Amino acid sequence: MTTPTVQPKAMIQDNTRCIGCRACMVACKSWNDRPADHTDFFAGAGYQNPRDLDANNYTLITFNEITTGATPDWVFGRQLCMHCDHPACASACPTTALYKTPLGPVVFDESRCIGCRACMQACPFIIPKYDYENFAPKIHKCTFCADRLEVGLEPACAKVCPTDAITFGDRDDMVTEAKRRIATAPGTYIPEIYGLDEVGGTSVLHLSSVPFEQIGYITGLPKTPMPDLTHRWLRLTAPVFALLYGLFGALNWIVRRRMRRQGHGGETT
Amino acid sequence: MNWRIRLTWWDTLLLAIMACGAVFALVRYAGGIGSIANINNAYPWGWWVGYGIMTMVAVGGVGFTITALVEILGAHRYHPFLRPAVLMGLLCYSSAIIMLMVELGRPWMVWMILISWAPTSALYEVGWCAFLYLNVLVLEFVQVPVEQLGWGRLLRVLRAIYIPIMLLGVTLSHLHQSSLGTLMTLLPHKVNVLWWSDLLPLLFLFSAIMAGPAMAILEHLAAARWLGFAPRLDLLAGLARIEAWLVGLFLTFQMGDLFYRGAAGAMLSGTWFALSFWVEIGFGLLLPFVLLLLPEVRESRRGLATACGLVVAGVLLHRLNVAVIGLRVRHWESYIPSLGEISITLGITAGVLFAFGWLARILPIHAELPPPQTSPHPATQPTSALRGTEGAA
Repeated sequence: MTTPTVQPKAMIQDNTRCIGCRACMVACKSWNDRPADHTDFFAGAGYQNPRDLDANNYTLITFNEITTGATPDWVFGRQLCMHCDHPACASACPTTALYKTPLGPVVFDESRCIGCRACMQACPFIIPKYDYENFAPKIHKCTFCADRLEVGLEPACAKVCPTDAITFGDRDDMVTEAKRRIATAPGTYIPEIYGLDEVGGTSVLHLSSVPFEQIGYITGLPKTPMPDLTHRWLRLTAPVFALLYGLFGALNWIVRRRMRRQGHGGETT
Repeated sequence: MNWRIRLTWWDTLLLAIMACGAVFALVRYAGGIGSIANINNAYPWGWWVGYGIMTMVAVGGVGFTITALVEILGAHRYHPFLRPAVLMGLLCYSSAIIMLMVELGRPWMVWMILISWAPTSALYEVGWCAFLYLNVLVLEFVQVPVEQLGWGRLLRVLRAIYIPIMLLGVTLSHLHQSSLGTLMTLLPHKVNVLWWSDLLPLLFLFSAIMAGPAMAILEHLAAARWLGFAPRLDLLAGLARIEAWLVGLFLTFQMGDLFYRGAAGAMLSGTWFALSFWVEIGFGLLLPFVLLLLPEVRESRRGLATACGLVVAGVLLHRLNVAVIGLRVRHWESYIPSLGEISITLGITAGVLFAFGWLARILPIHAELPPPQTSPHPATQPTSALRGTEGAA
């Protein structure tokens, strides 16, 4: 391990500082070796390009036309994996192909994946994507540049951002910093840190000047970890198995004894 | 023993549907899932999982339901339904595995589940239970051909292990039918409020149990009609009585859950979701419940076929409502199953029906049933209250 510390890391995505240059998208493609796409201008939020995250695009600046004052204005948002502290995707994976590392990234191990896409279904942020055209498809999503973090570097997107809209550091420090920004400029920010306690907390903390649902964020998520929803049932598996097997065995024994007494052979199938 | 059968027109039709599905499956393997399927980044499961896996596993629940009724609850008069039920279970689970081999992105890696340790994953539990239960079904059913082949020693071994294996099968079924529901509890943000519930595991388990007697009745009627057995209308009436109890209890449970969660208002929302819900409740539960309460329905083949067909269709719609229709992602993309997706599932289902028809003609699946013409109209004495309550207990 070349990392000096195992303090979990986080990023602040400060949308009020974003100028929509998309350098983060370029750096992300470059570091993760994703091919270029042919894209088209499209109706609606057409400046946002491509329309959505996919197997070739792990992060995306969203262009949201919002009328705050007299004229409409662009308000930018950013989509990327939130790297949840209690990731639903990893909890849903039947082969532990997805897991969270101590430094924070939720990473994908291609060699374990069976392609069930339960992670895509489970993710409350709709982040993992699939290359359906591929013969041996993979799950594609932001890696938090886990390989860079391992050697003490910051993620590629944070490295290139020209306006410091992306800030990287220990999660504790990032939470403090995000709160400080909101406190010192209450007119600039809405008093909310997206990711502070969404689904139990995430490694990416978003700040915004307008309510998050206006810039396309998924809001109304529970403040508790998603895996809790399934855990409360799955933890019962072993005791329920033992209980049911014993109960059915006892009933079957009674039934067979009754049949023997009635003179049946108790013969089965 | 003779493995050959004379192909009827419906065998030929099923083979044609299978061939059609096979062509699409070949395209899928040659060009990837994306070449034929509409599943996408927002809707990664779609029809294949909703129908091909979730519904087939639910209706395959007939195997454990009838086994439990006969062997564990001791309603031994329904023993004639046991072999067909186990065979249906075996074929439905096999079809779900075949579906999985088409649906998974990397089907050749599926064994990875068996060497993983992922107790937080509902799919992990489903995978293990379904794998084990498929083996149980094979061990249960293989007695029939082994008996025919006269392999006495193997048959003795199979009979000796039958009780613990059968108990294992029923237990595993309870676990994985419910964990298919657990899988969906992770998606409160995607599944419509009409269907998403904390209690989805129990709803999935109970609806699979509910599908059991209905499937057994439908199979019995179909076998009587196309394979030439005299149906045991007395037993069917008894099963129908149990089915009425099950449908009534499930209806109460589902509606009770809906009101308890405070989501009942969504029934009146005037959306497509509400419509689909009303179809599910109205035609899949309410109508068959009323029908099954009528003695004349329980004693007529057409009445039974209608009521039980509605129950099974209702379970299908419940699975589709949870996993496809009621599952919406706020996203750019939408989802409607493609011709290829549907053709492959139809091909697999046709394969199940063909395999059942073939095996039912070469093996004594219905050996306990009277031959035709002995009693075309068996005594339709009113089934005693005891009969219904004992099985539904």
